[in-house]
Amino acid sequence: MILKPRVSSYALTRARSRRERESCSGYRRTSMVAAAAAATAMGKSQRSSKNSDRLEQEIAENPAANEDVEEASGGDEESQPSDAASLSEDEGSQGSPVDSEEENGDVSDDEDHRSGEESDSSEEEVPSRNTIGDVPLEWYKDEEHIGYDVAGKKIKKQARKDRIESFLAGVDDAKNWRKIYDEYNDEEVELTKEEVKIIGRMLKGKTPHAGVDPYAPYVDWFVWDDKGHPLSNAPEPKRRFVPSKWEQKKVVQYVRAIRKGLIKFDKPKEEPRVYLLWGDDSSAAENKRDGLSYIPAPKPKLAGHEESYNPSVEYIPTQEEINSYQLMYEEDRPKFIPRRFESLRSVPAYEKALKENFDRCLDLYLCPRTRKKRINIDPESLKPKLPSRKDLRPYPRTCYLEYRGHTGPVKTISIDVSGQWMASGSSDGTVRVWEIETSRCLRVWNVGEAIKHISWNPLPELPVLAISAGHDVLILDTGLGNAEEQARIKELLHVEESKPEEDGSTPVVSWVQDDKYDCIRLKHLKAVTTVEWHRKGDYFTTVVPSGDSRAILIHQLSKKHTQNPFKKLHGLPVSAVFHPTRSIFFISTKKNIRVYDLLKQKLVKKLETGVREISSIAIHPGGDNVIVGSKDGKMCWFDMDLSSKSYKTLKTHPKDITNVAFHRSYPLFASCSDDCTAYVFHGMVYSDLNQNPLIVPLEILRGHTSSDGRGVLDCKFHPRQPWLFTAGADSIIKLYCH
Amino acid sequence: MPKHYRPPGKKKEGNAAKYITRTKAVHYLQVSLSTFRKLCILKGIFPREPKKKVEGNHKTYYHMKDILFLAHEPLLEKFRDIRAHKKKVKKALARKNRELADRLLNREPTYKLDRLILERYPTFVDALRDLDDCLTMVHLFAALPAVEGERIQVERIHNCRRLSHEWQAYISRTHSLRKTFISVKGIYYQAEVEGQKITWLTPHALQQVLTDDVDFNVMLTFSEFYVALLGFVNFKLYHSINVKYPPILDPRLEALAAELYALCRYISAGSGRLSGDPQAVTSIEDGQREVEKTGTRTEESELRLAQLQHQLPANEPGALMHLMENADDMDDDDHEKKECRNLFRNFKIFLSREVPRESLLFVIPAFGGVVSWEGDGSPFKESDEDITHQIVDRPTQGHVFLSREYVQPQWVYDCINARIILPTEKYLVGRVPPPHLSPFVDNEAEGYIPEYAETIKRLQAAAKKQVLPMPGVESQGLDDPQTLLVEGIIDRTEANEAAEKKRKLTMLEKQYHDELNMELQGITYSTSLSNKNLQSSVENVKEDTMTTLEESEDLSKVSMSRKKRKLYEAMKIGQERKKDKIKLLKERKKNAEASKTG
Repeated sequence: MILKPRVSSYALTRARSRRERESCSGYRRTSMVAAAAAATAMGKSQRSSKNSDRLEQEIAENPAANEDVEEASGGDEESQPSDAASLSEDEGSQGSPVDSEEENGDVSDDEDHRSGEESDSSEEEVPSRNTIGDVPLEWYKDEEHIGYDVAGKKIKKQARKDRIESFLAGVDDAKNWRKIYDEYNDEEVELTKEEVKIIGRMLKGKTPHAGVDPYAPYVDWFVWDDKGHPLSNAPEPKRRFVPSKWEQKKVVQYVRAIRKGLIKFDKPKEEPRVYLLWGDDSSAAENKRDGLSYIPAPKPKLAGHEESYNPSVEYIPTQEEINSYQLMYEEDRPKFIPRRFESLRSVPAYEKALKENFDRCLDLYLCPRTRKKRINIDPESLKPKLPSRKDLRPYPRTCYLEYRGHTGPVKTISIDVSGQWMASGSSDGTVRVWEIETSRCLRVWNVGEAIKHISWNPLPELPVLAISAGHDVLILDTGLGNAEEQARIKELLHVEESKPEEDGSTPVVSWVQDDKYDCIRLKHLKAVTTVEWHRKGDYFTTVVPSGDSRAILIHQLSKKHTQNPFKKLHGLPVSAVFHPTRSIFFISTKKNIRVYDLLKQKLVKKLETGVREISSIAIHPGGDNVIVGSKDGKMCWFDMDLSSKSYKTLKTHPKDITNVAFHRSYPLFASCSDDCTAYVFHGMVYSDLNQNPLIVPLEILRGHTSSDGRGVLDCKFHPRQPWLFTAGADSIIKLYCH
Repeated sequence: MPKHYRPPGKKKEGNAAKYITRTKAVHYLQVSLSTFRKLCILKGIFPREPKKKVEGNHKTYYHMKDILFLAHEPLLEKFRDIRAHKKKVKKALARKNRELADRLLNREPTYKLDRLILERYPTFVDALRDLDDCLTMVHLFAALPAVEGERIQVERIHNCRRLSHEWQAYISRTHSLRKTFISVKGIYYQAEVEGQKITWLTPHALQQVLTDDVDFNVMLTFSEFYVALLGFVNFKLYHSINVKYPPILDPRLEALAAELYALCRYISAGSGRLSGDPQAVTSIEDGQREVEKTGTRTEESELRLAQLQHQLPANEPGALMHLMENADDMDDDDHEKKECRNLFRNFKIFLSREVPRESLLFVIPAFGGVVSWEGDGSPFKESDEDITHQIVDRPTQGHVFLSREYVQPQWVYDCINARIILPTEKYLVGRVPPPHLSPFVDNEAEGYIPEYAETIKRLQAAAKKQVLPMPGVESQGLDDPQTLLVEGIIDRTEANEAAEKKRKLTMLEKQYHDELNMELQGITYSTSLSNKNLQSSVENVKEDTMTTLEESEDLSKVSMSRKKRKLYEAMKIGQERKKDKIKLLKERKKNAEASKTG
C-alpha cells in the first residue's frame, strides 16, 4: 500500500525529467543533484536547510535513481522505447496510487500533493508533520517514533524498507526518480513537474522562474549632462579629510623638543647691551685698524661770525645785496644769509636743519675721499729763486732811439755785421738803410711790393742785402763800402742772360738782372717768405711755403745756381736757417723742426715743439741751442744735446710771438709779440755739459702801439752791443739800450 | 692694436683691477642697492678716487679691497636673513595667517654693532675724533617730534634724547666744555675730551620740521650706528669717572623733562663725594633738601637706596684708590680746566621760564655755577635770597629783586667764550645785547676784527692785570707794537697798522729835517710847495717801486712751471677774494656808522 504511491511519484518525476532531457542534454550528475537539493529547498522552505541536506544525502544514497538519470543522459535515443513503454505503464497504473492514498486516509499527504500540483507559491502553507524542531535526528534514532504531530501525538516510525524492496519499488514505479525521502518527517516526497523545471533552470544557470527577463531595458536614473558650474565638481579627495601622518610626526618631534626644553617660548627681548668696549689703549699694535688706510672725513666748517643769531651789523647784507644774490649763478650764490634777531626768544627753528644734516650724511658715505695735500704756503715762495737782474747786466732796458720814416708796418729789420747799418723792410714796399747811431735814413729803395724779409750778407766786405718781396728775391747792392769792394760786388751781381735749360723743363728759379736797382732778381714760382744767408755769405736759402716739393731752395750767389735738395717735406715750411758754425740746416715746419746734415745729406734730428704753430726760430751762436717762438705765445728752448723735447717752455706772451732772436756775443735772447711787448731774457749756456742752460727773464720792453691788431713784428740784437731793435706795426723802429 | 686692449687670458691690472664701480660692486656682493648703502654706512666704507678712472669719469669708484671687506662681513648674511624673514612675514600676512605672522615677528633676526664699532675705532681716541657728526645727529634726532606713526620710531627718538643728556651730563660734570655759540642754526658747543676737540650742534629747542626732501632710510641707518657708538662712548666715559653706566634716573624729574638735571644729580651722587668738590656736593644736597620737601619722602629714599646699591659694585674695589686718583686729577688739571671750573663759581643763577632751559642747565654747571629754574623739581625757588643772577629774556621785568642782576641769556654764552665775567650793563633786560661773536673764528687769520671782539680782548687783558679797562685811552697809548704783540693785547694786523703809522711818522720827521736843512741853506720855498714836491716825489718813488714790483712778479711768473703758475694764480685769487670780503665788511660798517650818526 505504501509502496504504490511511492512508485507513482517516482514515475512522475521520471517523466518530468525526461521532458527536461529533451530540451537540454549533457547534464552532469553532480549538478543535477545540487539542483534537486535546491529545488527541494525552494519548494519546502519551512523545512530547514538541514532537511535539504538530508535530502541531498538521500539522493546520494539512492544510486539507482542516480544511475537512472545517468542512463537517461547517457543514451537518449536508445532508451526512448523503453521509456515510452514505462510511460504507458505509468498511465495504466495511475488510478491505483490515488486510490491507495485515499485509502490511507492521510489527509496531510493528500493536501501536500494537491498544493504541489496547483502552484509553487503555496508551498509555504504546507505544515510539517513533525514538530520536534531543529534538533538532531539521532535523538530519535532508537525511539519508536520520529517525533510528534501538532496535536502532540507520537508519530510512529514507518517500517524500514530494505534495499531489495526499494529497488523493486523503483523498478515498478517509473516516477520513483522523482521521489525523495524526507527523513525529518519520515516520508517520501514526490517532486512536482514545476519543481523539477525550476531545478533544471537553476542547473543551467538561469533564473528559477522563466518569467524573469535578465536583459530588461536599462533605465538610467542619473542625469549625466553638464550643469555648467564654473568650479570643479570633482569630489574632494580623501586626504583632505584625513589628518596627515607627516604632520603628526612633526608635531611629535616638536612636542619632544618642547619637553626637552630645546624650544622656548616668549623669549624676553634682548636689550642692546653696552659694555666697556675699549679696554686699555696702551698696546698700539693691536689697536690698529686693518684694511685700507682710513681717510677720515673732513670736519664740517665751524660757524663764523655771520652765523650768529645776533651778528654785528657789518655781517648783515643790505637789501640790494640780497637782491643781487638772485642774479648770481646758483652755485656762487651764498647759501646762508645772515639775519639779526633782537633777542634769543625770537629765534625760530632752523628749517633746513634736517636737510643740512642729511647732506652731511650724503657727503659722508657718497663722496669719494682722497688725501689732498693742503698747501699752506705763501704764494711768493712758489716763485723760483732767480739771480738778481742787477748781476746780469748789461741788457736792453730803455728805449734810446726811434727810427721813423716808414709809412707802413715795418715787417723786418736786419743789422749789418759791422753794427753800423740797419736795413728795414716795410709793407709799404720800401727798403731803408739807416745809420744806427744817428737814426739817419741813408737810402731808400722802393721795391713796389710788400717786403717780407730782409737780410744782410754776413760778410763785412760784401754789403749786400737779400730782400724777399712777393714772388721775387732781390740781391741788392747797398752801395756801402769802398770802391774796391763795390767793384767786386758789381762783378758778383752780374748775371748773364738766362740760357734755356738743356732738358727743356721750366727752371725752379730764374736769375734775372734787374736794371732799375742794378741787382739780381730771383724769380720764384710762388711767394717767398724768408731769405737767410749762410755764414760764409755765398749761399742763401729761401722758403716758399706754398711751393710743395720746391719749398726750400738753396741758392749759390757766386755761381748763380739754385738747388732743391728737399724734395719731400713733412708739413708746411715756416722758415729755414743755416747753422752758425757747421754745415747743418734747420727747417721748421708748423709743428716740428727738422735738422739736416748738409754734407751727409740726411736727417740728424727732429725736434718736437708741442706748440700749435711755429712762427719763428733762432739758433744760439754756439749752435747747440735753439729757441722757437709759436703763435700761441709760447717760447720753447731746445737743447740739441739733451733731447728732442723742449728743455723749457716759457709762456710769455698772451698773443702770437712774431720773432725770436739770440745775441751773437752776450747771453741774451729776446722775443717779440703782437701784444706790443718784447721780452728780453738772460740765456746762459755753459760749456760744461752737465749744467743746464740758465734762463732768466730780464725785462719787458714796451713802447710800441698796436696797429691793426699787430704789435711788434721783428726784433734783432745789435751784433756787438747789448742793444735790441724792434720793428713795430706802428711803422716805427725802436732801439733799446742798456 | 688699441691702447687699452687686454688679451683674453690676461688679468686686469692697475686701476682697472683695483677699483670697481658701484654698480659692479652691488652685483659682486649680490645685494640690493639699499642694503649696500646700509652696509657702507655701518662699515664706514666710502668711495675712493682712483688716479685713472677706467670706467668713466662720472662714476663712483670703490676700492676692491673695501668691497672684499664688505663681502666677508657677517652683517651681510644677517641682512639676507632679515630680508628672508620679512618675506615670510609678508607671505603670512597675505595669507591672513595672523598667528604665524605674529610668531615670526616675535623672533625677528637682530644684529649688534659693537664689533663693528671696535673695528672702525680700535682705540677710544679714534672714536672721539669722529664723534662730531655722531653728536650732531643724535642731538638733532633728540629734538625731532616723537609722534607715533611718523617715519621715525619714537623709541629711537627717546633713545637719542637719553644719550644726548648722558653725554651732556658727563661734559658738564667734568667741566670739559670750552666754547659755545648761539647761531641761527642752533647752539654750537665745543668740548675737549681726552685732548680731542669735539664740536657739535644742537638745534634750538623748538618744534623741528620734518621735510620731504630727505631720505630717512639713510638718516636712520646713520642714527642707528651713531646711537650704538654714543652708547659705548658714554659707557666708557662714565666708567672713567666711576659711575655705573646705564644710570637710574629719578622718574619724577624725568617726567618733568629735567633729565639732564636728574643725570647730573646721579653722577654727582656717584662720584661727587669722592671727587671732593664741596661746592657741587653742597649744592646738590641743597637741591635734594628742596626736593625732599616737596616730594614724598619714601619714594625719594627708595630711589636713593636703589642708586646707592647700583653704585656699590662700581665703588667697592678700593675707594681709597679713587680718592687718590681724584686728587691726582686735581693736580693734573691744566690751567684751562681750572679756569672753566671756576668761571661761575660763586654764582647762583636762576632761569626764567622763557629762556632755553636745557642749554643753560647744561652750560652753567659745566662752568661751575649753580642753577635753578622755575617749575617743579627745581633745587631752589625764585625767591631765594642768595641768587646772584637771573636769566630773563623778556622785554621788561615786573618784580625785581635788588640783590640780583637780571641779564639776557647771551651774557652767559659770551662770558663762557671770553672766559671772564663780562660786565652786565649791556645785557640787562630790555636792552639790545651787543653782537654775539663766534668763538671758532681766528680773527687775526681772517684779517678783520669786529669791534666787540676788541673790547672783549681789552676786558680780558684788564682782567689778567686786574686793572680797570679804559678803552679810549689804552688804544691810543701804542708806543711799541711789537711789545704789545708780545703781550698779546693786540694782534698781528693791528701791529702792522701801527708799524705803518710809525713809518709815516718817521717819514714826516725826515721831511721836517730836510726842510730844516733847506731853510738852513737859505733856499726859500713856500712850505706848501715843498710839501707837494716832496709828496709827489714820494709818490713817484712809490709808483716806481710798484711798477718794478709788478714787472718782477710778471717776469718770475714766466719762468715758473705751468703747475706752479696755476697754483700761484689760484692762491692769488683766493687772497684777492679774502681781501674783497674784508673790504666789503669795512664798507658796510662805515655805512652803518654813517647812518647811525647821520
